Amino acid sequence: MTKCIELSFTQVDFNSQLSQFFSELLDKKVLDGIMVPVRQGEGLAMQTLVTKTKLPEGADPFAPVIPVNSAKLASTLTATPTGKRVGLVMRSCEIRAFIELTKLNQASLDEALIIGLDCFGRFENGDYKKFTAAGGTTANFLEKAKSDEAFSGDVHLCGACTICEFPTTDIADLRLGLLGAANDKVIVEAYSEKGQQALTDANLTLTETPSSREAAIKKLTEVRLAKRDEAFAAYHETNDSFDALENMLADCVNCYNCRVACPVCYCKECVFVTDTFRHKSEQLIGWADKGGSLKLPTDTFFYHLVRMSHISTMCTGCGQCTSACPNDIALMPIFRTAAEKAQTRFDYQAGRSVDEPQPLAVFEFDEMIEVTGQEK
Amino acid sequence: MTDQKTGTVLVAGAGISGIKAAIELAESGYKVLLTDASSQTGGILSKLDYQFPSDHCGMCRMLPMVGREYSSEYCMRKSLHHENIEILPFTDVQSVDGKAGEFTVELVRKARYVRTEECNGVGKCLEVCPVEVDDEFNYGLTKRKAIYQPVPHNAPHMLMIDMDACTNCGACVDVCYPGAIDFAAKDKVETREVSAIVLASGAKLYNIHDAEDAKSYVVSKDVVSALAFERMLSSTGSYQKDTILRPSDGKPAKKIAWIQCMGSRNRRQKREYCSSICCMFALKEAVLAKEKGGSDVETTIFYMDMRTFGKGFHRYRTKAVEEDGVILIRCRVQGVIKLPDGQLQIRYFDPETNSFFTKKYDLVVMSTGQEPFADHQKWSQITGAQLSDRGMLTTERNSNVRLVHSPGIFICGSLMGLTDISEAMSSGIAAAGETTSFLKSIDVVRSKEEIVTEPISELNELPKVAVVICQCKDSQGAEGLDLDLLANSLKKYSGVHVVHLAMSICTSDGEHQIMEAMQDHNCNRLLIGVCQPYLYRRTVKNLCKKAGFHSSLTKIYDLQSLVRRGAQEPDRRIWTKKVAAELGSEIESLKLKSALPMRIMTINQTALVIGGGMTGMQAAISLAEKNVPVHLVEKDKELGGLVGRTVHATLDGLTPVSCATDLRLKIYESPHITLHLNSEVTHSKGSLGAFQTKIVNKDTDEKSWLHHGATIFATGAHEGSTDEYCFNDSDKILTQTEVRSGLHSGSFDLTNAENVVMVQCAGSREKGKLNYCSRICCMWAVSNAISIKKKSPETRVIVLYRDLMTYGFNELYYTEARKLGVIFVNFNLNKKPEVSISEEGKPQVSFIETVINEPVTLEADYLVLSTGVAAEPANQSLSKIFEVPLTEDGFFQEIDSKWRPLEFRKLGIFVAGTAHSPLPLRDCLMQARAAAQKTYSFLQGKELQTARNVSTVREALCVRCKICVRVCPYDARKYDETEQRITVDSAACQACGMCTVGCRNNAAQVPGWSDKQIMTMVDQKLMADLDFLTT
Repeated sequence: MTKCIELSFTQVDFNSQLSQFFSELLDKKVLDGIMVPVRQGEGLAMQTLVTKTKLPEGADPFAPVIPVNSAKLASTLTATPTGKRVGLVMRSCEIRAFIELTKLNQASLDEALIIGLDCFGRFENGDYKKFTAAGGTTANFLEKAKSDEAFSGDVHLCGACTICEFPTTDIADLRLGLLGAANDKVIVEAYSEKGQQALTDANLTLTETPSSREAAIKKLTEVRLAKRDEAFAAYHETNDSFDALENMLADCVNCYNCRVACPVCYCKECVFVTDTFRHKSEQLIGWADKGGSLKLPTDTFFYHLVRMSHISTMCTGCGQCTSACPNDIALMPIFRTAAEKAQTRFDYQAGRSVDEPQPLAVFEFDEMIEVTGQEK
Repeated sequence: MTDQKTGTVLVAGAGISGIKAAIELAESGYKVLLTDASSQTGGILSKLDYQFPSDHCGMCRMLPMVGREYSSEYCMRKSLHHENIEILPFTDVQSVDGKAGEFTVELVRKARYVRTEECNGVGKCLEVCPVEVDDEFNYGLTKRKAIYQPVPHNAPHMLMIDMDACTNCGACVDVCYPGAIDFAAKDKVETREVSAIVLASGAKLYNIHDAEDAKSYVVSKDVVSALAFERMLSSTGSYQKDTILRPSDGKPAKKIAWIQCMGSRNRRQKREYCSSICCMFALKEAVLAKEKGGSDVETTIFYMDMRTFGKGFHRYRTKAVEEDGVILIRCRVQGVIKLPDGQLQIRYFDPETNSFFTKKYDLVVMSTGQEPFADHQKWSQITGAQLSDRGMLTTERNSNVRLVHSPGIFICGSLMGLTDISEAMSSGIAAAGETTSFLKSIDVVRSKEEIVTEPISELNELPKVAVVICQCKDSQGAEGLDLDLLANSLKKYSGVHVVHLAMSICTSDGEHQIMEAMQDHNCNRLLIGVCQPYLYRRTVKNLCKKAGFHSSLTKIYDLQSLVRRGAQEPDRRIWTKKVAAELGSEIESLKLKSALPMRIMTINQTALVIGGGMTGMQAAISLAEKNVPVHLVEKDKELGGLVGRTVHATLDGLTPVSCATDLRLKIYESPHITLHLNSEVTHSKGSLGAFQTKIVNKDTDEKSWLHHGATIFATGAHEGSTDEYCFNDSDKILTQTEVRSGLHSGSFDLTNAENVVMVQCAGSREKGKLNYCSRICCMWAVSNAISIKKKSPETRVIVLYRDLMTYGFNELYYTEARKLGVIFVNFNLNKKPEVSISEEGKPQVSFIETVINEPVTLEADYLVLSTGVAAEPANQSLSKIFEVPLTEDGFFQEIDSKWRPLEFRKLGIFVAGTAHSPLPLRDCLMQARAAAQKTYSFLQGKELQTARNVSTVREALCVRCKICVRVCPYDARKYDETEQRITVDSAACQACGMCTVGCRNNAAQVPGWSDKQIMTMVDQKLMADLDFLTT
């Protein structure tokens, strides 16, 4: 059983209460900085690095929108040591991606305090704007999401979120919890020794985490898992061939937005923009000649296959690829299904543990003999 | 033959130890004649698809890692290719004349009736030959034709005709397009001059079909020898998917029994020796049988002593029993009965339950040992070498690879008595080492390598490709190639400037032709299409250089590769186009190649030997004999180590103390050896060729840095201890070492001693203790028991043992001990002896006497415990300092326990002696010589050419995720913390490409295999295939 403090927002509103808590961590020098989503006027909530004690107006950690998967932001913040302790307020999909980047030496946990949020999903950026324009607040959202009510207006949660089996994260120092908390409370759960130390250093008195929390997490996870499996089955049915896959990806224009949005695509420069894929004119004409025609731009399908092979073992299912596509290609279902298979095959789960080596980072003498056909 | 002074060595016997010796000598720059009396190379190992402990084949791991571009690396079970090695299979050594350094040998090359150099391997003759006989390679489990390939998996195909079976019908002659068959062939006698000789003709295994004492066992086709069983597990034998077939009726064999010591440990048959390897062989087969035959296979081994004495053997046994469910029963089975239904019945006594059982089996495997030593007599007659009273060639007391009174002649492998793979490797290297030392001493030069300087290539020129196709054997494919069509197709590729058809490129005539044709070509890239390029790789590469091409801008294509891959195409035109497409993709890839320089590594030619015991001293002397400067570091104030200071005589006739005195003198006299006594290693950095190691003198605290190119660990070991059997509670309880010293000095008092009890494996071969066999304790126990009996025949000596590890000829001493009345009583871990101390302070030993099966308690005057051999604690720090691994027992962990027993993944570091594992002194000295030879092969030149093709890092793309460092199987990649970048060690890198698989954005690359090249090649083949559809 973990320990926690409980924040009550009967006196002040929800976000003020959370801001106050974060300010206290800065004030008591538990943290030197904190990365937290802050609403940009009437726009989206963007991650913001705060180092002064007072949090800006509009700090809105639970805002149901993730314009950028912050794993990459957190990676740039932590990759080289600064001597400053930074709190990182992130969702499960972001934390899991952050763990993957840590394993790739692109980020570090050393000076970071990971503050996870219970996640009820996010809206696409457009839907979020519609929702807020109609007067919706984060508190409204959470109230509805917790009771699984539909949202008014034509707004929906992201597909990725509805099938995400990780409403909370297993790797965090602190977890800001709504699941299992009373309606006017947020549980701040000390989820690691480091987290517990942080709360103690802030002179906060810890109590036992209510047992209702574990039950609530379990319940929601089961609901999501059922939805996920249902979705996987459906995807498998409709995408069981190369042709079907090629069709799904046919509208790709090589804008590479999905790659930019993907939190675990970590290369400095993608192989698809190097000379490897700079074809000569005569080659293009030759290909067209052989097949009679050649769809342009070339290498769109190949690009997705390569990306799939590169990230399948690290994909956390955040759905940013789908969100980023200008032509509404449903990338998330394809990548999540592939990732599921790949990760199961290696008995690996992206973001599950810092100590679990990534499958591609291990050399094994006998591996996947059923695929390679290698004979002893 | 042109240069009389060039050192040529005859290695007689092309089993694994002969091959290893040949490779070592060839790598040291000597020419080698490698003969084998049989029609094949690879010896016994060519029949084994799987070896302990990896249960894989790993033969290729004996190949050199550095300078890999010189030898054509290839599957060793198929064949071996090295420019300095001339392989002569089916060749007998008839006579040896002359003296050391100037031997004349007469070789008889037996007729094969097939000219293998003409044969194209298409194998039509095999189809048409009407004669079918049992295939001896597979022990009659399969059939072969009268014309056949002796080793089914050999490549290139080395066919021959069995004239005893052949009917001379001529069917094969009719279908042989190249005309390779010659019925009139005769044995040929050749005379060769060689400077030294290595005998490696191996051992013959006991034949169960003509041995008298096997009759009561071999009652059915389903009783097979251990080697035949290997063929039953092989896909080139009788194995079929997931099933081990019973020879008699082809039904799956599910209950399999092994019977140990067939032909061995048998005084009546004059085979009073243990064949040493059969216990592990049987265990491995029993484990494999389950893997290959299904988990419902039941395997039982009937044994006398399970002699798992080597490194890692005991743990393998434990795993076999506990995890794989192999059943071990200690019983000498008297015979096998064939039941009417074909099942095989064995009646045995189970000592665990003390009762008799009768069980049925589908298959019985006889663990066949070594035949007596026919080859030894032959070699003795030919070379005049001395034979021992055991009938074996006599080796020098302190060197089991050097024959007595026969300078220039050395011996290795199973000719010394059956050896396992790691001993075969070590002895092969040691024999090569002794040979190089000998050749150095008589000033025989190494072969002069033809050095052809690399032409300067114009890097920025557009690719202009010249293609040369060798047409001497237009037999590539069923109907041959249409060479004009081929040339015309190739000319169409952009960038191809000239296509030339040549004759016999591999001959000097062909060389002139090409030189001429290429004179005015102005091309900068060359593609050569030849047959069997792995045979001529270096010649062809040199030819390319002479013709003005940079060797990394040339490519050799095997014109037979399509045939080899099993492609078939009756239409000559289409066949030609297919070959054209293959060559086309090579052309496209060649166009994208860039000139790669040969990497040169500067070598510090000094060696460091850590440890001044027997092994370390011998290693230092062996290096000094080869003129290699040595730093010898010893932690104590004097040389000699434990054995060299305390052991005066061993069971097998060595006299360590006096031997140590000799070695010490040699070290003091040697101008090459710098001695650092009382010193310890504290730091080391660097890699092969450039190590810097800091040592501290323990007295003066003086620190110094040693610069050296390679390192040998010879740190030794010490006697173990135990907390069992009241070890510390009585002065009447001693270790074997204390008894040995007491017997030597006379202080061990046996006056009125009634009982001396010995307990073996005290603190060994048990979980949580020294969980391995220390190999030498049984010998010490037997030796001390014999001495006690000789000194005081009235004293009762009882040895309580679990498995008596008197392997090899040590078996004789075991017999001698029993003859002298020493009583040997077996116990197992469930019923260990118990010890208490009587009021008079004497140990009381209780144990179960196995013959009467009753508990017995004896008051012992002395209780002697065999406490095993424990690893040297200094190994722990050395392992960290040099970044090499240790076993869980604290010994050094070599990279491959079978094929590279003395090496680590980190290059330039070797281990020898008891730092490796508990070993008898003779083996320690052999390893010392082998480690010295390995060291010498790296340090012989001021520079080491590593390789051209070494993986690279594109700094701008690299994100420092270090995946490449983690996945590199050769430890070639490191992250340099100061420069914050990935570095590649060009000697260690094997260009395997694992880093490029791990690296997602091409920051890791293997030049010559860029994505662009591979994609172009794929593209080219796809395009060409479409071509066939449309034309």
